[in-house]
Amino acid sequence: MKTNKMTIPTAVELINISKKYVVRHEKPTLVDQIFKKGRKKKFWALRNVNLIINKGERVGIVGRNGSGKTTLLKIVNGIARPTSGKVKTNGKVVSLIDLTAGFHPELTGEENIYLNAMLLKMDKKTTKKRFKAIIRFADIGSFIDAPLYTYSEGMKLRLGFSVAVHSNPDILILDEVMSVGDRDFQKKSFARIQEFYNRGKTIILTSHWESYIMENCDRVIWIDKGKIVMDGKTRSVLSKYKKSGSEWYIM
Amino acid sequence: MERLKNLKNIWHVDLLVAMTEKEIKARYKGAIFGFLWLLLNPVMQMLVIGVVFRYVTKTPIENYFVFLFAGLLPWNFFSYSTVKNTPMIVNERYLIKKAYFPREILIYALILANLFHLVITVLIFGIVLLLFGLLKVSILLPVAILWLLLLTTGTSLFFATWNVQFRDINFFVQAIIPLWFYATPIVYLLSFVPDNLKLLFYINPMTGIVEMFRSSLLGVDVTMANGLWLSLFSSIVIIVLGLVSFLKKSPYFDDWI
Repeated sequence: MKTNKMTIPTAVELINISKKYVVRHEKPTLVDQIFKKGRKKKFWALRNVNLIINKGERVGIVGRNGSGKTTLLKIVNGIARPTSGKVKTNGKVVSLIDLTAGFHPELTGEENIYLNAMLLKMDKKTTKKRFKAIIRFADIGSFIDAPLYTYSEGMKLRLGFSVAVHSNPDILILDEVMSVGDRDFQKKSFARIQEFYNRGKTIILTSHWESYIMENCDRVIWIDKGKIVMDGKTRSVLSKYKKSGSEWYIM
Repeated sequence: MERLKNLKNIWHVDLLVAMTEKEIKARYKGAIFGFLWLLLNPVMQMLVIGVVFRYVTKTPIENYFVFLFAGLLPWNFFSYSTVKNTPMIVNERYLIKKAYFPREILIYALILANLFHLVITVLIFGIVLLLFGLLKVSILLPVAILWLLLLTTGTSLFFATWNVQFRDINFFVQAIIPLWFYATPIVYLLSFVPDNLKLLFYINPMTGIVEMFRSSLLGVDVTMANGLWLSLFSSIVIIVLGLVSFLKKSPYFDDWI
């Protein structure tokens, strides 16, 4: 593993990662906590996962709902802390999990761009420099000075996507993101993701769409019940995954 | 150590500034009186409480309305910040679940926005006092504000952290804040409190802050002397508890919201 590290730089390294959640059916109250301590159910979302993703790889993660895909991405991103194990990331990680999370309805498009950019690890100076490009890509025209609640849902999504792709990440995480905006915008965003890849950025994505994974990934990791079932070339993993009876949305 | 290193990142500073600006700009958007609410709020409180204590219960305190206003300013900062920060992590769950950034920024931004408001109201109040010849400002004013700032950070971090796991905390805070108001010498003088109860009042960190704040604006004597150290001590305990809870629990916020 040491020699591998020397030749190809590692983007993400997960060492023996486990993540335990406490299952709750309702939000806990103080009384529950004190009197029902022994009745907590535990659930392992990930169990002893070891994984190395090299710089410039395009990795797809497949698995049924609840298999641990999103937990894995959250741990790479730093949003969730693993119960045990070690995470190493090399470079800026940006996640496009939900594009409009950082938006505030009362503020203008411009104010929101800055806020959202900083949530995606951009500083103010860089945002200012890329400001025009962000607006141009989002194609929202004169609405830029209007408060965000006057925007259509499509416009908000386009703005969010535009900010995210201009944040220039080293590692880009796409969790079920693909259908943003109309067909023209989808083409544009697809081209943008391709461009990331061509510049040697690392991309990690999940999708339920077989063709999306096929087109965008060189390597696929199949996860089930918190463990890696198979890890290898896209075609071979996908065919095994299909044979296991897992469902795909066909495009 | 890792966290201290974190805050050095330029985008964290920029984010804190942007979130503070957002908080200031967004609060009065769509309100006709806008920033005037900053003053209207404590003035209305002062009038109602003032009339009750001045004319109904006939308090012997001189310049009662001014005395009251000087106590309401730090109290409002404290109560408003604490009440709004307690459910902050839960309310901002969509942000926390989707983006990685230091979670304390949410809490600090609200406190800084309120500090901005406090400074403006203190300046306006200071001008009014000057016109009436009542202003006797001392060097202790910034010390009192700093103390207030740190205590509020402590309570905010503490309650916000524990509210993630136990939503009862929010109800608890809403219940104790009005009681806490009466346990702090805002509408009355500390010297009215019977001697055998004084110790309890000194332990309340807001007692020291309100006393110091008021005396540094109006030049009245601090009547608690050594009691001030007790208030300071309990403030430090609260701040440490807040910080330790937050540092320990914040990496796991995503698990609970």
